[in-house]
Amino acid sequence: MPSSVATKLKSPKSSNGLETVAIRCRDVTKRFYYYAHRTQSLRENFIRALSRKPLHMGRAEFTLQGLTFEVQRGEAVALIGPNGSGKSTVLRLLAGIYQPSEGTIDVSGTLAAVIELGAGFHLELTGTENVSLYGSVMGLSDAQIRARFSEIAAFADIGAFMDVPVKYYSSGMQARLAFAVTVCVEPDILLLDEVLAVGDQAFRQRCIAHLTRFRKAGGTLVVVSHDLETVNRLCTRAIWMDQGRIRMTGPMGRVRDAYRNEVGEDEEE
Amino acid sequence: MGRNAWRWRQLFRNLTIRNLKVKYQRSMLGFIWALLNPLLMVAILAAVFTHVVRIPMEHYVAFLLSSYFVWNFLMQTMSGATFMLTEHTSLIRSVAFPSELLVFSAVSSRMVEFLVEMGLVLAGLAVVHHHGIPGAWIWLPWLFLLQVIMALALSFPLAVLSVFYQDIEHMLPVALTVLFYISPVFYPSNMVPEALRSWYMANPFAQLLTAYRTVVYEGQGLAWQDIARLTAAVCLAWGVGYAIFRRYKAEIAEVI
Repeated sequence: MPSSVATKLKSPKSSNGLETVAIRCRDVTKRFYYYAHRTQSLRENFIRALSRKPLHMGRAEFTLQGLTFEVQRGEAVALIGPNGSGKSTVLRLLAGIYQPSEGTIDVSGTLAAVIELGAGFHLELTGTENVSLYGSVMGLSDAQIRARFSEIAAFADIGAFMDVPVKYYSSGMQARLAFAVTVCVEPDILLLDEVLAVGDQAFRQRCIAHLTRFRKAGGTLVVVSHDLETVNRLCTRAIWMDQGRIRMTGPMGRVRDAYRNEVGEDEEE
Repeated sequence: MGRNAWRWRQLFRNLTIRNLKVKYQRSMLGFIWALLNPLLMVAILAAVFTHVVRIPMEHYVAFLLSSYFVWNFLMQTMSGATFMLTEHTSLIRSVAFPSELLVFSAVSSRMVEFLVEMGLVLAGLAVVHHHGIPGAWIWLPWLFLLQVIMALALSFPLAVLSVFYQDIEHMLPVALTVLFYISPVFYPSNMVPEALRSWYMANPFAQLLTAYRTVVYEGQGLAWQDIARLTAAVCLAWGVGYAIFRRYKAEIAEVI
């Protein structure tokens, strides 16, 4: 089931019918070709058709290769690595947004991905209206959204701004509202891409507290982040990505130290 | 899968409502704008073709009204389709959901607007033109269904191809202009020279608009072979259009 369907949180025990392996990636390869222009326009196709020569006008390539790993149910895994190493691509593959070029990805249980906070927000609509829209994008039914609305409003904690169009929000407020909806989705597996970097200190603490609770309740977590200290608190295991390949996997602390040694302390702060 | 279908239905409905809300909620005259624009066009066409270039027709305004909104609906869904996906870039790149929903919800919110517009037109024509409700109007639900399938058949390839080829965006206005003149929007199809008629009527737009005219304006029933031909054409177009969409669907999130 490759979608981000989400229901009430289930306990991870195999008694609930879910496998003990939450995510299984086998020999996954994903290739991308980028062109100098956003689209290969019709013109280029015409030229290609006429000249019968392979045409690689300004083509760049990015390949994600040899991706084999498992995430156990109830585990929290961090994806770390430099920019452009393929962390977000891995998350998109797991979420089913991208299809792998080769290999297989099996996901057992409901999954919700937060790749970009507030992706479904419409700037002209109010916070309240966006909550129901974003909620249904994230897989909540209208009844569930209504039932959890006060919880969402309390988590976002933006007061009267709930009834103001989102375009008047500060970026922090927008992120808080989006994260608040996500919090109420309660999937079996949660994928987060660099979303812990939003909001003020107090809000971040609340997010981390929530994720810790989510873990305690048996939820599976995959997090992409550059904030090594935060993921160190949240995660038990880490996968270090480098140039589209897995460089190292292992216990969080060990991988973090190895990564830190290589890139130097300055990268972090 | 059943659970999924239920879930997507809810998202589809919420997207449709959102489209309408965003369009009308914060404008004072709201729906009047949607009505004013095509009515102004009808007024201009009526002025030009009754006083300048004369189209021999007794009730030209009623004739125009009987199908102008159908043309307007098709035109708007087609031009809307070209930025339907790019408008939702961040959504497509961060949530796995069937992107068909964006196309369906865009067409369905336009459908709601059309039903209101057409309801008003029909009420007006019933009172002023027909002095009653013609029995032939029983055909309208079928014509409406064909019109919606046609809009979807065109929206799907237009939406997905504009993600890959920006050219679509530039090509469509030209295509729409051509279509406006080669379809019976402001003149009856029987004014087309007899020799060209069968070619002319191969255009599904011409068939649909003429069918609407026959039913709404003339209050006549349709010939079975005409409606069968149109239905077949529309279904074929839907099959081809949706196949094109399916072919490129998986790549949308990567390219957009």
